[in-house]
Amino acid sequence: KVRRRLGTGVGGENYKTEGYVVTPNTMALLKHHLTITGGQVRTRFPPEPNGILHIGHAKAINFNFGYAKANGGVCFLRYDDTNPEKEEEKYFTAIREMVEWLGYQPYAVTHASDYFDQLYTWALELIRRGQAYVCHQKVEEIKGHNPPPSPWRDRPVEESLLLFEDMRKGKFGEGEATLRMKLVMEDGKMDPVAYRVKFTPHHRTGDKWCIYPTYDYTHCLCDSIEHITHSLCTKEFQARRSSYFWLCNALDVYCPVQWEYGRLNLLYTVVSKRKIIRLVETGAVRDWDDPRLFTLTALRRRGFPPEAINNFCARVGVTVAQATMEPHLLEACVREVLNEQAPRAMAVLEPLKVTITNFPALKALEVLVPNFPADESRGFHKVPFQPTVYIEETDFREEVDKGYKRLAPGQPVGLRHAGYVIAVQNIIKDASGRVIELEVTCTKSDVAEKPKAFIHWVSEPLVCEVRLYERLFLHKNPEDPSEVPGGFLSDLNPDSLRVVRSALVDSSVLSARPFDKFQFERLGYFSVDPDSEEGKMVFNRTVTLKEDPGKA
Amino acid sequence: LELYLRSCSSSPSENEIKLLTAEIERLKNFGCLGVSPSLEGLRDENAKLKYRLNFLQKSLQEERSKTAKSMININSCLQEIFGAAIQAAYPDLENPPLVVTPSQQPKFGDYQCNSAMGITQILLKTKEQKVSPREIAEKISKNIPANECIEKIEIAGPGFINVHLRKDFVSKQLSSLLMNGVQPPAVGKRKKVVVDFSSPNIAKEMHVGHLRSTIIGESMCRLFEFAGYDVLRLNHLGDWGTQFGMLIAHLQDKFPDYLTVSPPIGDLQAFYKESKRRFDTEEEFKKRAYQCVVLLQSKNPDFIKAWELICDVSRKEFQKIYNCLDITLIERGESFYHEMMKDIVKEFEDKGFVQVDDGRKIVFVPGFPVPLTIMKSDGGYTYDTSDLAALKHRLCEEKADILIYVVDSGQSVHLQTVFAAGQMIGWYDPKVTRVAHAAFGVVLGEDKKKFKTRSGDTVRLIDLLEEGLKRAMDKLRDKERDKVLTAEELKAAQTSVAFGCIKYADLSHNRLNDYVFSFDKMLDDRGNTAAYLLYAFTRIRAIARLASIDEQMLRKAAREEVLILDHEKEWKLGKCILRFPEILQKILDDLLLHTLCDYLYELATTFTEFYDNCYCVEKDRQSGQIVKVNMWRLLLCEATATVMAKGFDILGIKPVQRM
Repeated sequence: KVRRRLGTGVGGENYKTEGYVVTPNTMALLKHHLTITGGQVRTRFPPEPNGILHIGHAKAINFNFGYAKANGGVCFLRYDDTNPEKEEEKYFTAIREMVEWLGYQPYAVTHASDYFDQLYTWALELIRRGQAYVCHQKVEEIKGHNPPPSPWRDRPVEESLLLFEDMRKGKFGEGEATLRMKLVMEDGKMDPVAYRVKFTPHHRTGDKWCIYPTYDYTHCLCDSIEHITHSLCTKEFQARRSSYFWLCNALDVYCPVQWEYGRLNLLYTVVSKRKIIRLVETGAVRDWDDPRLFTLTALRRRGFPPEAINNFCARVGVTVAQATMEPHLLEACVREVLNEQAPRAMAVLEPLKVTITNFPALKALEVLVPNFPADESRGFHKVPFQPTVYIEETDFREEVDKGYKRLAPGQPVGLRHAGYVIAVQNIIKDASGRVIELEVTCTKSDVAEKPKAFIHWVSEPLVCEVRLYERLFLHKNPEDPSEVPGGFLSDLNPDSLRVVRSALVDSSVLSARPFDKFQFERLGYFSVDPDSEEGKMVFNRTVTLKEDPGKA
Repeated sequence: LELYLRSCSSSPSENEIKLLTAEIERLKNFGCLGVSPSLEGLRDENAKLKYRLNFLQKSLQEERSKTAKSMININSCLQEIFGAAIQAAYPDLENPPLVVTPSQQPKFGDYQCNSAMGITQILLKTKEQKVSPREIAEKISKNIPANECIEKIEIAGPGFINVHLRKDFVSKQLSSLLMNGVQPPAVGKRKKVVVDFSSPNIAKEMHVGHLRSTIIGESMCRLFEFAGYDVLRLNHLGDWGTQFGMLIAHLQDKFPDYLTVSPPIGDLQAFYKESKRRFDTEEEFKKRAYQCVVLLQSKNPDFIKAWELICDVSRKEFQKIYNCLDITLIERGESFYHEMMKDIVKEFEDKGFVQVDDGRKIVFVPGFPVPLTIMKSDGGYTYDTSDLAALKHRLCEEKADILIYVVDSGQSVHLQTVFAAGQMIGWYDPKVTRVAHAAFGVVLGEDKKKFKTRSGDTVRLIDLLEEGLKRAMDKLRDKERDKVLTAEELKAAQTSVAFGCIKYADLSHNRLNDYVFSFDKMLDDRGNTAAYLLYAFTRIRAIARLASIDEQMLRKAAREEVLILDHEKEWKLGKCILRFPEILQKILDDLLLHTLCDYLYELATTFTEFYDNCYCVEKDRQSGQIVKVNMWRLLLCEATATVMAKGFDILGIKPVQRM
């Protein structure tokens, strides 16, 4: 278990960790590290600002922020913006927003690019120490398995220094020169690239640089600069652990400890940026935050509460094993939270008009509905009750069969919260024989015979749009060619979105803001969509009330 | 299409007209291009190339400023800054005008950038956009990159951008000038410069015409050497040709034993005149003279010996003058190129440029009406041939990057034709190699006519220099300097003033114009003359001496003191001193040395203004005791003096300690 492996939760004891490389300078560096951090745990969440965060990131956020919080430490939000080509302002703000939405406050917001000057100075030092050299092998040459070793590996230090300077000055074209570190990685990859030439302005440093550091070079050094104690990363980076330690030690700088945990994958979805772009382009989803996706913005829009996502991540845990989860496990967490958070309301998706012919009052009555029936101390709201009410079409049948307990001729039904039982008096049909209205009589429930069932209803309702969602993909692993030979775009569920344009919702939801959540009795949990307009509210169904038995 | 439209309008086919009108519109809007799939890729590549270009330019600037010892050319720094600002503000403009000049009045700041007006014109012409220069100036100002020299920027009038320099920046440059001495502006890679100057003819006296070439050429060499170029100073002597036939024939008659006993030719000019007279009058002599030419050209040792004897006499005469004027150069006369001329003719023939006209071999050069004659009908070569050979040798053997001919304007067409022929045959590309004719006008007498002696002879240079010496001494005596200076000092002052004035008078005039030679004017110690500058210089040098501040103390102060430039005149002087590199850069570009003289004069007068307004050394009125030494002002004096000294050095003027 990683939690146990992470051990003490105290900074400065890096050397006690198995596999940590102790150099003659280690103890002095750790001592200095302790004077800076005071032994506090420091973690960081380091996303690349080149896309939208998804459920996998939620785990990284949860783990880094959560671990720091649990140990009285701090967590940095560090944008790994070393690659200038992909960065856009919108990603930076969206990431920050999502971190905060999940309930975390970064100790500091930093950027890898904040350290470009220091990283460059260190690169010069690395060359001087004979640990890095300028190489002219082409990208194609060093790709793949067993590429030939660089013929420039042993060129004189002075020469590399001059050439690296030339790289910085723009004298080499893209791909004509790289700076490589002299080390062999776990997977046998030799001499990873530390710097490459890119004639692209950087989001933050403008046109100051035309050489940019790589992940391999940047990551551990930024961790070192920020005096991170626990550098938590997913398992793919295990192969880079030795290079992580190597580089810090090659430069004699403070060396954090890298810990790996398993990635969180979810079935029935795709999360890669490229694939989501394809989905948006082909119109399969409306945008990055389409509630059928598992980006964090999509989950928020769908109505998933951040607590539920955190609970889910915590439950998945931080085992090294890759966790592949069913979405319904996440949904279970959502129900748990919403059960506590979402007040009740009533909505009718497929309305059938019902007129009470013996309505007991001249004008509308008011009915008190508890916000949380299980805990009436959390208040009530009022809904009007008029001679005309609407019920679900499916809650009425002309023929009764065994097991059917709701309204039918001769089978009265109770109206939830209203305190009345209605009984069919007259069925009105249109020319095609379809039932379009019922005339009923009502009886106060305390005098009526107890009905077999109670149904939800609305009266004087709001007309709203309701969007109902199913899984976006039919198969568990839409990206797996053996499961879906035609590619993920061929696996779309045609019924993933159903829009009910004229659903009727009781007026208690009137003042709700986007992302406010309700439990519509018997229908599920719903969240106000930002598409809502004055006079036309839009609701997303977050989850149904119970797990569909078919999905289990 | 429009023609077709017009023809259609007479035969009514309305639809066709409509279609064609639409087609014209589409073509006008580049509708035909559509969006090709590679367009995006090309745009990306273009963006990357632009980024790289910008980067390389920045790196270049960085490298230049890194050669710590060179003095910063503030003007070109500002040009680079404004260049970058304009590029950022108007990335689509190609070669936008970049004009930065020192401001004429303090209220307009220290420098001005006047590009906005030009950009307005360009936007109007190329993009049909009407933007006011002021608006452009504002946009440029907003895009000024971070830099170390600009304090603030103001937009004035229609769209002038006034630049105020940072005091600490100017102060720092002055300190580094004092610590490192006067250094040239950075000019990049060490290039080879060949300067062809002086170039008198053997057996003829040097005259005042050669004076200009000699003085200008020497100064130009000094400038390029100071700027860090590898300079080859060539004296293209007229030491080959038919005149040697008659000279040798005459020598054989007059000194038959010349091979064993060195003939005492005292007056070569008289010797030349005699042989010329005989050549013109004695048919027999003329015949022999021609034979002598043939024998000389066939390298007959006896004739070579005779030729050398005559050349030596001339050389000695020339050297006297070069010694007086402190001229250094290598003799490489026409004879040096003699062997190459055969190949030159062959090269032009092989490449098919040669036409035969009446037995002569001629070469027409596009753009020049008069052809070059590269071989006469008798098989002899001409100036055209030797100049072509010299051009090729300097370009291909000496590998000159810059080749300068300091030759009078009368030779302009000839030289331009030779240069064009060199390009035509592929010896050089003017984009890579600079071949320039630094032409100059003739020397006129005070009567504005060609400079002659009273008897109408050409003025011998040596006589002229001697008269200069005499006049300078008269002037010094007039001013009773002989009573103050020691005999040695007086003599030093005399030569310094005499030769300094002759050189300065020549150099201070735009070389392209004719110039009036006047001893009275050049020896005047008021106005833009060497006499004035030399005097001002000794006075500046004396200031520190009189305050008992020695060189070591000045050095120490230069390291430790901050140059305060609070007084308006200090500021003006400081900026003036630092314009030195931009002046030199300008001359390196246009080869007009009078700019340096104008600058030195301005520096001297700016100094006087400063000195009149700012006490350097404060003394007690009664006792004459020194009360206070304003060290930073002494440093300003010192900076002025070092720049002036370097200026004099480039002009070839030797200042003296006392005069």
